Parts: sequence; structure tokens; C-alpha cells
Amino acid sequence: MTTNPVQSQMIKEAMQAIAERKPGRSKLVYDKTKRTIVAVAEGSNAPQALNITADDADMFSVVTLSAEWLRDRWPELKKAGLLPVTFSSWDGGDALTHSELCVHPSPTIVEGSILLGQQPADKRSDFAILLKPIDGHAFKPDVFASPDGGTYRAQVLLPAGQSTSPPEVEFVDVEPQLALRRAGILETTILKDKTVVCIGLGTGGAFIAVELAKCGIGNFVLVDRDRLSVGNVVRHPGGISQVGRSKVNVLRDLILDKNPKASIEIHAIEVGFDKRDVIAGLVQRADIVICGTDNRQSKLLINELCVEANVTAIYGGAFRRAYGGQVLRVRPKHSPCQQCFVSAMPEEAADVEVSSAFDAGEIAYSDRPVAVEPGLSLDVLPISNLQAKLALLELLADKSSTLNALRRDFDAPWYLWLNRPEPGTQYATLPPLSESSDEMTINRWYGIYFDRDEACPVCGDFIAGLAASYGFDPALLPALPDKE
Amino acid sequence: MMWTYAQRQRLALEHQILLNEGFSQFIVYHQAAYDSYYASGLATSNSGREYSLWIPIPSGFPTERPPLYILNPHPLLMADGRTISSLGVSHSMHTLEPHASGYVQICHWRSARWHAGIVLQKVFLKAHIWIEAYEQHLATGRDLADFVRTMAEVV
Repeated sequence: MTTNPVQSQMIKEAMQAIAERKPGRSKLVYDKTKRTIVAVAEGSNAPQALNITADDADMFSVVTLSAEWLRDRWPELKKAGLLPVTFSSWDGGDALTHSELCVHPSPTIVEGSILLGQQPADKRSDFAILLKPIDGHAFKPDVFASPDGGTYRAQVLLPAGQSTSPPEVEFVDVEPQLALRRAGILETTILKDKTVVCIGLGTGGAFIAVELAKCGIGNFVLVDRDRLSVGNVVRHPGGISQVGRSKVNVLRDLILDKNPKASIEIHAIEVGFDKRDVIAGLVQRADIVICGTDNRQSKLLINELCVEANVTAIYGGAFRRAYGGQVLRVRPKHSPCQQCFVSAMPEEAADVEVSSAFDAGEIAYSDRPVAVEPGLSLDVLPISNLQAKLALLELLADKSSTLNALRRDFDAPWYLWLNRPEPGTQYATLPPLSESSDEMTINRWYGIYFDRDEACPVCGDFIAGLAASYGFDPALLPALPDKE
Repeated sequence: MMWTYAQRQRLALEHQILLNEGFSQFIVYHQAAYDSYYASGLATSNSGREYSLWIPIPSGFPTERPPLYILNPHPLLMADGRTISSLGVSHSMHTLEPHASGYVQICHWRSARWHAGIVLQKVFLKAHIWIEAYEQHLATGRDLADFVRTMAEVV
């Protein structure tokens, strides 16, 4: 792209003239002798050779306007001939984005109006977009099809005295344009009616929620008591500008930025036994629960509630210092639950990352403090990615979907992932990735099968199992002694 | 709170296990007036000293970890004469947050290790081990933790 301001202005003017199909002060022509495109400017003695690249096509600023909003307001515009409109101005005015589209508005707001019909005779003092009727249907970004069957081309009218080239207008239909990129792989019409309850919105939980929003999940219930801290930002999708906000609010905005039609319910509460009834109520409404908490008690509580409500849950977590991680998918009564997992594999279940001051406090002693561990976002995201994918598979379980081909690949209840051969672990001596074909290595998912515990205290019949081992009949247990 | 049928049945079973496994000095009680449960009893150390143990059953039991407090002797002192409860959550003495009334809460399982498959009989068994270690602490002045390091293997 040319950096010469004179050339840049000539190219702009020539392109504008071509776009508007009317003669301008400059025009672009092909010079056979110089074998290049040259700009011929009015009043110039000689044509000027220009090095035009594809980037030059992007030199116009852009105004983006919600077509859906305009359709909704069309009767009002037709009646009044004018609609007030505001834009977030980005990059010194290079992009003006309709405020209706902005979850996070720019600090600079530009006010303007949309005019219908003919250009006003007098010069306006504010920024305006004129909609001029055209014949037929033109599927171009600057053409708007009104609800009453009309077709209009948008043209920006700059305020009086402003001599720069007017920006291009682009109408966007958010929902269809988003759906277009997912159609054929995901059944978005099904997903938009599904409800995902995300409990724990740390790095992993937040990533999953945003990914599911991108996939078109329509309803989210977000649960987390924490606020975003500076230390979180190095891994969390939330940024420095959101430090101090509740994570549920940060995630609500991130989700809406990806899926504006999503319905989002937030609960800034701690996942503890004193909130059991509240969380039970949320779980009962879920099509699936994503557990992003990393302490055992909260996982076991969620497990108990999900088994009770017969709702599938996906648990994930990083090992210490995020050297690897694991994912457990629990289909109540059909696969091992979280309680079966901790009973069968206590060491694996206990290997968790200490990723927050709260979690460190939970396992620290006053005379033996525990520090928050370092861990890379890069190492957490593979785990979250699989959780999100398993969640989609569950939600599309009995529907036709390209993703269903993965069901034969992801049929294990438990998955293990290793980011590195961490010293001091059983994985310290893994062979290099390049030298192994069937041995365990880093950067591969391992699906691991283990059986449900028929005598599990949560998903099995623990009491019958235990009573039998002690020779009791559980139906004949005497009443407990009463105490005043 | 409302106890579920499964919770009530589990507590009845816990009571029977205590009776059948030689822990009959510990009983699971129902307080009808409050519809609450607790387990309690006297533990006697090898030296013959008695300790009154109390486990108030939390509403989330058995998924929620039950605390175990020593009601008597109270206050429970260290070898240097300080109260154990003044240490709070202590690794050297294997204690967790003391009760509001100052009773020592021993660390049988931390929340990060507790799960619903653990029965109260094992909790009382760990309390016995803690008590023996405590008396060794009184005799030697060394940390109680020095004597319970192998507790996990014992239980």
C-alpha cells in the first residue's frame, strides 16, 4: 500500500469515482508503455505511475450498520424521514461501528442520522447516511433491502467542511452471517435452544463458555463468585480493562460479543453446600453442565446434583503447574461419576492445579502456606477444547451432525492429556513425540476406560453394598437413638 | 434443612458399622427437636486418658466433609502450655479451624481429599491415631505431625 499521501489521495478519488460510476478528478488507467496502472489527475501534466496493491482497496474507512436494527426501525424512518444513530469510533475514525452491535463501546461515540430519500439541499452539520432508492436487487454490502420490498443504496454524507473521502457503508445481518460459518458442521438450530450451565469461570471454564457461544449455544447459566484479578489476565479471556469485574459479568459480555442473541443468566455465588438448593435448581434446567471448578468438594457437590437430576456433566482440570490435565464425562448411571473416579483413582483425582488464592488457602496451613502455581494458558486450553467438543457431542447426540463422526473416537469416560514430561511425575521419562508410535507421549489425547462403581455412594447403591459387606439388611436398620 | 431418605439411611448404617466394628463407644444420634444429627463418644488413649469426640453431621453429608472436634479436655494444651486452638489451621499439630467455642478440630481428611466413600468409623479411627500422636507430643515436645506421618498408610 502506498505511503505517499498525494498518491493515496489520487487512488482514493479514482476508486471512489469508479465505485460511484461517475467522473472524478482522478482516474485510473492502464499505461501500456509503462505496463502499469497510472492515476491521471485533473490539472496534472503527466500521468503518475502508482504502485497499487490489494491493500489499497482497504484504504477507505468503513461504517458498519445493523440491518436487523434498521428493519425493526423502518416504519419509524419512513414516517419521520430521519433516524438518530450512534456509532463507536475506532482507530481515529477508520471504523465506525453501529452502537447496536457493540457490547464494549468505544470511548469515542459519533452521533449521526439516517436519512431516507433525497439528499437535503442544505449542508448538514452532522454525520449522516443517506438511503437512496435503487432499482432491482443488488446483493452488495452497501445495499439495504427494506421490509416493504424496497432496495436502497447507502451513501455517507460528511459534515460540511470535511473534505476527506466518505467512508463505505456496510450493512450486516449478524445472526445469518454467524450461522453461515457453522452451517453444515453444527446443527445451530438445535444448539440455540440448548442450555449450558457453566460452573466455575476460570481460564478453562471461561474458554469453554466462549467457544460454546461461538458454536451457537443459545442459553447460558454462568456461576462463579470470583472477580477478575490482574493475575488472571495472563490466562483468562478477560483482559486488563475488566480487572475487578465479577467473572460472570465479564463472561456475559464476552459471550454476547460472539453470540448477541444468547440468553445469559448470571449467579455470582460460591459453589458450596450452603448453596446446594440454588445450584440444584440451576442444574435441573441444564442440558449439560460444564464444571470448571478445581476443588474436590465443589466437583463432588456438582456431581451429586447432576447425578440426581440425570444431567450429563463434563469435568476438566489441569494437573499441577498445568503439565497436563484430564477430562471426565459423566453420563449419570451410564458411565463412572466423579465419585467413582475419586474412589478408583485417588491420586489422579487429587492432582489438581492450585490456580487461585482461594484454592491455595483451602489446602494451606497457617504454618505451611501454599502458593498459587504458575501455569500457561497454552497448557490449559487443550483441556478446555476437548471439554467444549465433548459438550457439543452430547448436545447433538441424537441429531444429524458432521461432529457425530467423532462419537467413535470419544467414547471413553476419562481423557488424559500431557503438555510436557514433568520432572517428578510418572510421565517424566516419556519418549519424544517423534520417536513414539504407540507409547504414551505429550500432546495426544488418551481415552481411558474404567468401570462404574456399582456400590458408588452417589451413582450406585452404596448402602446396599456396604450393608451386605457387614451382613446387615438395610431395610431392617434400627432407628437412631434420639437426643434432646 | 431437610435430610434426604438416602442421608438418613446412610447415617443409620454408619451407626451400625460403629457398633459392629468395635467402635461401640461412638454413637450416631438424632436430635429430633432440630432434626439434626451428630456422632459422639469417648475415646480412651493407651495411657487411659479420655477424650470426648463430637462430629456434627453437616447438611451435605456424606459428600460434605464432617468436622471432628475434641470437646474435652478443653482447652486442649500443647507441650509448651499454649492452647492448640490458638494455632488455627496447623500442619505441625494436624488441626483445622477450631470451633467457635474454641474446641480443637482435628484434621482427619482435608476437604481436598474427602469423598462420600469414607465412613465415620474411619474418621474416629483417625481421631484415635491423632490422640496417640498428641500424647507423644506432650511427652516429647516434638510436633504431632512427626507421629502421624504414616497415618494414611495406617488407615
